[in-house]
Amino acid sequence: MKIFISGGAKNGKSMFAQTCAKRLAKEGHLWYLATMEPHDSEDNARIERHRKERAGWGFNTVEWGRDISAHITETDEHGTYLVDSVTALLTNEMFDGMSGVDARAAKKTADELISFSKKAENVVFVSDNIYCDAAFYDEWTEAFRKGLAEVDSRLAAECDIVAEFCCGQIIYYKGAGIL
Amino acid sequence: MDLIIGGAYQGKTEFAKEKYGLSDKDICVCQKDGYIDFNKKCISHIERYSFWCVEHDLEPDEYFFEHLADFEHTVIISDDISCGVVPVDKTERAWREANGRLLIKISDKSEHVTRVFCKIPVVLK
Repeated sequence: MKIFISGGAKNGKSMFAQTCAKRLAKEGHLWYLATMEPHDSEDNARIERHRKERAGWGFNTVEWGRDISAHITETDEHGTYLVDSVTALLTNEMFDGMSGVDARAAKKTADELISFSKKAENVVFVSDNIYCDAAFYDEWTEAFRKGLAEVDSRLAAECDIVAEFCCGQIIYYKGAGIL
Repeated sequence: MDLIIGGAYQGKTEFAKEKYGLSDKDICVCQKDGYIDFNKKCISHIERYSFWCVEHDLEPDEYFFEHLADFEHTVIISDDISCGVVPVDKTERAWREANGRLLIKISDKSEHVTRVFCKIPVVLK
């Protein structure tokens, strides 16, 4: 089973994603795939907060910031993975070294995630809805929004369930009631 | 009139082309210059038109609806710009609200309203 979850910040995505992963794993291995490559103390504090929120859920945490499809041989292909987040994976690929935007990053990230998704038994992907604000952004930010939309759309097409969270409520676009 | 709404890059134009059998030449893509070609079957990025109106102290829905008869059969596409942080910039704040007022009226007059999310269309009306 493959699940895609998106929504704005602090809307209930992570808690639902954890619940889904736990339910799908049954007695099998449950993996939390942390994708953020920390750059400062703010990032570290954020990672620590997420770690505490997951405590006691039975997740084994692996930290893979890129090439996740190749990494899966280090764990197991029959496990259940919570990938948090699609957004961070694209950030790692697109702004590698901060020397500019890598135009191929979106395609590479989407290819990587879809390849990973085909190998693993169950995957819950978490992404972010960053498409609905009233602003004209600089070229880099706009490239990132467009890139993430490409990754999100391709993943949504692959997944059995596609849902968005809004103030703790779920909106199903695909696969309502199959979990 | 039909309305298609959704976040940036979600596949709104692609959906419109497929559903209504449109090609690029049928679509007027608004810029921030106040120009709209009412002869086209589809008008996209209407939010940019709203921005131009706000910059020129015009209320987009009033101005737009003067031409109501011209776009009775038009497909209107707008980016949803309503969900982010309240913009710091005064014009952008006014723009967000003005576009919202415009879309409520267009939605009200529309036969079909569709929201597109990750290339998945959802019928709202």
